[in-house]
Amino acid sequence: MSAELSDLYRSLSAAADDQELARPELVRRRADRRAHVRVAGTALAVAVLLGGVAVGGRLVLSADGATPLPPPADTPGPLPTWSTPPPSLSPSPPSPPPSRSTPSGTPPAPTTGAAAPRPPTSIPDRAFFVLAAANQTGQESRIEGPALPVLCTASYPSESTVVQRRGRYLAYKRPETPKGYVPDGSYRHTITIYRPGSADDALRDLRQAVRDCPRQELPDDGERTWRQRLLDPGRYGDESVLFEMRAPFLDVNGEPSGEEVRLVRAVRIDDVVTVLWEQGWEGTSAERGQVDADTRRAVAAIVDWLH
Amino acid sequence: MRDAQSFDELYRGTARRLLRYGYAVTGDHTEAQDLVQEAFARAWRQWGRLSAHPAPEAWLRLVVARLATDRWRRLHRWRATLSRTGPPPDAPAPSEDGVLLVRALRQLPTAQRQALALHYLFDMSVEEIAREADVPVGTVKSWLSRGRSRLAALLPDLSTVKLEANDVS
Repeated sequence: MSAELSDLYRSLSAAADDQELARPELVRRRADRRAHVRVAGTALAVAVLLGGVAVGGRLVLSADGATPLPPPADTPGPLPTWSTPPPSLSPSPPSPPPSRSTPSGTPPAPTTGAAAPRPPTSIPDRAFFVLAAANQTGQESRIEGPALPVLCTASYPSESTVVQRRGRYLAYKRPETPKGYVPDGSYRHTITIYRPGSADDALRDLRQAVRDCPRQELPDDGERTWRQRLLDPGRYGDESVLFEMRAPFLDVNGEPSGEEVRLVRAVRIDDVVTVLWEQGWEGTSAERGQVDADTRRAVAAIVDWLH
Repeated sequence: MRDAQSFDELYRGTARRLLRYGYAVTGDHTEAQDLVQEAFARAWRQWGRLSAHPAPEAWLRLVVARLATDRWRRLHRWRATLSRTGPPPDAPAPSEDGVLLVRALRQLPTAQRQALALHYLFDMSVEEIAREADVPVGTVKSWLSRGRSRLAALLPDLSTVKLEANDVS
């Protein structure tokens, strides 16, 4: 049987017409509730969208505000550690919250006389925290990627002391966002084991990298200038580093409209460093409260694993 | 002050067409619904200015298409997730023709999918597509021509005679 293309498109339209659409007032309400969400990339969209598709993905790399990905930083250290399985694709049991005596997630001091825990050499699935139920979207990916955003030309000498690194992407939602809606943000979450005594070098390297890179333009990100600065890290683990990245957010007319904010926190627990890099979702900005809460969960899961 | 009534009117008048467009571009009902709602959410957030836009539907199409392109990139990142979470919820069974076309469209570059959708769903001429895409007319002709040729190869039952006869000059 032969068919014309226009007929096929009519069939396609009929199939689409069977789908339900939300009522406009619900769309408005949702938009107002998510007023913190920046209008993502539409300035670029207007200029480049259909014309821009000719140059493909390069355009969208900057459109959601996610910083372009540098060469993978997930390279294993000196030991061949990638033979271990990646993070489980199914959620592991929720991590217990930090105990009251260790509100920052600092691991308890070893009991006097007890044998010192052996340095870890591999990262189990349970070391990865589970989002609070109200934040879960069910979207998690083990796709490889960098552990940190580009910071000018920073290099990290401590990378030579990496024993193993595992990472994942996971999307989260705000508690008030209904299930099934687009996520409100996402993390690049990594856990890295360093050789004994070397993990503090990693944090030192990171602090220095942020200090050395107060401003930068990122490739494939238009002409925006990102500003980086260290923030008071709060009390997490044995020590931690928190920094923000800020860049103007451009509205549909290409005019600055607020700012886009990314937060990156690295926490050391013994010889392990975990990094939560909030990457947003289609232009959303990181919120400190959410990142703090998830950091506590991340630290608690690692403390639980190590001790 | 944003005028909710005018926004709702635009929504009721265009959302269905945009949903078709989203489906033609993404090949996925759930994705299409997400994209359309997100596009309208963004429109509402700046409705004060956008309500005076001479062609708000074109603006929405651009946002839908841009988001669709973005999603394709994200899908690469999240493909493990998709394989884990399984297929989207059951949707009404589309007609066989629609399924065949959607499957074939998935194998076309984004630009060709979008150009074909604008032409067949919105009845836009080559010149109009070129204006909206801000590309030369020749580029659009090339997208349409290549897209049709590829579809003809992927859909053996497609009427190639009529296809050529209807080709855009």
